[in-house]
Amino acid sequence: MIRIINQITGPDEGRIVFDGRPQSQDNIYRIGYLPEERGLYKKMKVGEQALYLARLKGLSNHDAKKALKEWFEKFEIDSWWDKKVEELSKGMAQKVQFITTVLHKPDLLILDEPFSGFDPINTNIIKAEILRLRDEGATIMLSTHNMESVEEICDEIALINKSKKILDGSVKDVKNSFRNQTYSISFTGDLLSFGNALWTNFELIDKKSQDDVHKCTIKLGDGKKLNDLLQAVMPTSEIIEVHEVIPSMNEIFIQAVSENQPEIIVES
Amino acid sequence: MSKIGIIIRREYLSRVRKKSFVIMTFLGPILFIGIMAAGIWVTQVDQTQHHVLVIDHSGLVSQTEQSSNRLESRFQDRFVESSDITYAFTKERPSDDEFKEGPYTLMVEFDDGIFQNHKGYLFYKKVPSVTFTSRLSRELEAALEQLKVTQDLSISFEEYKRLKTPVSLVQKDIEKQDETSLKQEQAAIGMVFAVIIFFFIFLFGSLVMRGVIEEKTSRIVEVIVSSVKPFQLMLGKIFGIGLVGLTQFVMWVLLSFIFLSIAEAVFNAGYLNPSTLVDAQEMANMGNNQADFYQTLAQNDAFNILLRINWPVMLGLFLFYFVGGYLVYASLFAAIGAAVDSETDTQQFMTPVMLPLFFSYLVAIMSVNNPEGMAATIFSIIPLTSPPVMMIRAAMGISGPQVWQLVLSMTLLVAFFFFTVWIAGRIYRTGILMYGKKPTWKELGKWIIYKS
Repeated sequence: MIRIINQITGPDEGRIVFDGRPQSQDNIYRIGYLPEERGLYKKMKVGEQALYLARLKGLSNHDAKKALKEWFEKFEIDSWWDKKVEELSKGMAQKVQFITTVLHKPDLLILDEPFSGFDPINTNIIKAEILRLRDEGATIMLSTHNMESVEEICDEIALINKSKKILDGSVKDVKNSFRNQTYSISFTGDLLSFGNALWTNFELIDKKSQDDVHKCTIKLGDGKKLNDLLQAVMPTSEIIEVHEVIPSMNEIFIQAVSENQPEIIVES
Repeated sequence: MSKIGIIIRREYLSRVRKKSFVIMTFLGPILFIGIMAAGIWVTQVDQTQHHVLVIDHSGLVSQTEQSSNRLESRFQDRFVESSDITYAFTKERPSDDEFKEGPYTLMVEFDDGIFQNHKGYLFYKKVPSVTFTSRLSRELEAALEQLKVTQDLSISFEEYKRLKTPVSLVQKDIEKQDETSLKQEQAAIGMVFAVIIFFFIFLFGSLVMRGVIEEKTSRIVEVIVSSVKPFQLMLGKIFGIGLVGLTQFVMWVLLSFIFLSIAEAVFNAGYLNPSTLVDAQEMANMGNNQADFYQTLAQNDAFNILLRINWPVMLGLFLFYFVGGYLVYASLFAAIGAAVDSETDTQQFMTPVMLPLFFSYLVAIMSVNNPEGMAATIFSIIPLTSPPVMMIRAAMGISGPQVWQLVLSMTLLVAFFFFTVWIAGRIYRTGILMYGKKPTWKELGKWIIYKS
């Protein structure tokens, strides 16, 4: 799909609407695309190469040079301008590649696994840049398997499994829909009597003990509230901490994909 | 600047700036001139000074000179000494040791038996060159001939010379009867152009292929095709590299001229000067009257061949077929590059592209001997083989009924270029984004037919 938006391949069926109008040739100037399979000419100098790619995106020589200088200063890589790409490390090359993707101030930024090859420090730099571009009004499409970054950056997600969309919505909504009345509760006191206090409609999912501090994960039954749980266990336990267990995107991913598996198998 | 323009610029500059390009540009003419100079040097070295002792047992070609009381040549214009050869005569063969230590490099021995068995003997310390040996035997032959004429016939040698009637068939084209025909010699000049076209296609076509593979393996191609159409990228690459080739070619021609004139100035080398070449030939002409005839003919023709070729047309056609042939083959090479992942995988697809190229080269060689033959005519029209073959025909001059063949050939080449570039564009479009597997012929076919 990403390639279709970028007009690299044509769609089998359907059509693309870009900014309310049917897709046209000129739109590629408004898209910035960082493919998953990416690279640079190894023998070419960094600056020349970035200039070349910028000019292919429709920038004039002068504008491209100016914008590049700004970005290179921002990333503190001015000294790389005359280096050949093959002299750079993978992370360094990725940085250059990122610059060439966003240089022409695209309205739509398509990033396919943008953080691969970056160390944590540079990941944060890039992340900050992505968020800044979002705040400046760019639409950003992030394709990744890294669910942590999804949680941090994305406003809305769509989960695609075996070319079928199985989940979409804002990150908040998706997370809410995957909440299932599960709480984690830490306390000191007798574990046995704690267990006895949980009568019907509470389900003990997990328990861990360290010294005399116990940590239990409990799923509430229908119609129960956190207060009911607390009332039940308060007489026997000294409660230290209680919080709701919200599934991470990672867990949602696993759950959504595994739930959809049987259906897929039937289809195929 | 249009996108293709930007791409051409990059393809061109990134290659022209390479050290290897600069080195090759200068090294090419130096190597070329070096080989030429080495060739001249070798022939010079081979021209050793020969002192020939003619052992004339029966006094056939020598007689005692009254004044000096020494044996000398019987005929004024035979056994004439020149810069690289001296003659001495004797009736008695010296002993082997005497010869070995003596000043003579060669001994020629014969007696009157030579009229029956037609054999003389040549003794040497070092093997003389074949040309020198034949020159000696020609000399002896001519001397004996003169002897026979003057002794056995009652006419003077001058009269005999007049009797002798050497004949050479001068070819005439029925269309252009006022000219002597030098078709084959002209075709040989066409061959030079054909060879240039062949190597240009071969070298720079595969450079296009390697360029495409490089883009694939470095994974930059998807970045670029998100900005430009694959077709534009392919055309930009083909044109860019083509310009690199043209630049290199023009530089080679220019530098060769410059280096040659420098070399001539520095060494004041006589052999590079055409006027001394003629002198040398004239000197050789004095050798044998029969050889005279051919040599004078050849001498005039060397000029004639060059004058006979219609240079504006020839160079124009050369440029056309040079560029046209390159474009056709380069687009095929680009398609191959797009279809494979690495250079080692190219073999399977290279063969069908290289085959017509080598074949056209073969046809061109054959056409030199038979420039107006069937094969030359047919293959100078078929696009994949026409560039080198048509060079041969163009060198002979194209006129009358051949003009339409030329027009047909040129039209077909242009049409075929559009066809190959279309096919290549379709393979390219799909191929550049395919990693990890080598397509089969069937899949390539699908890529071509598949609608976008």
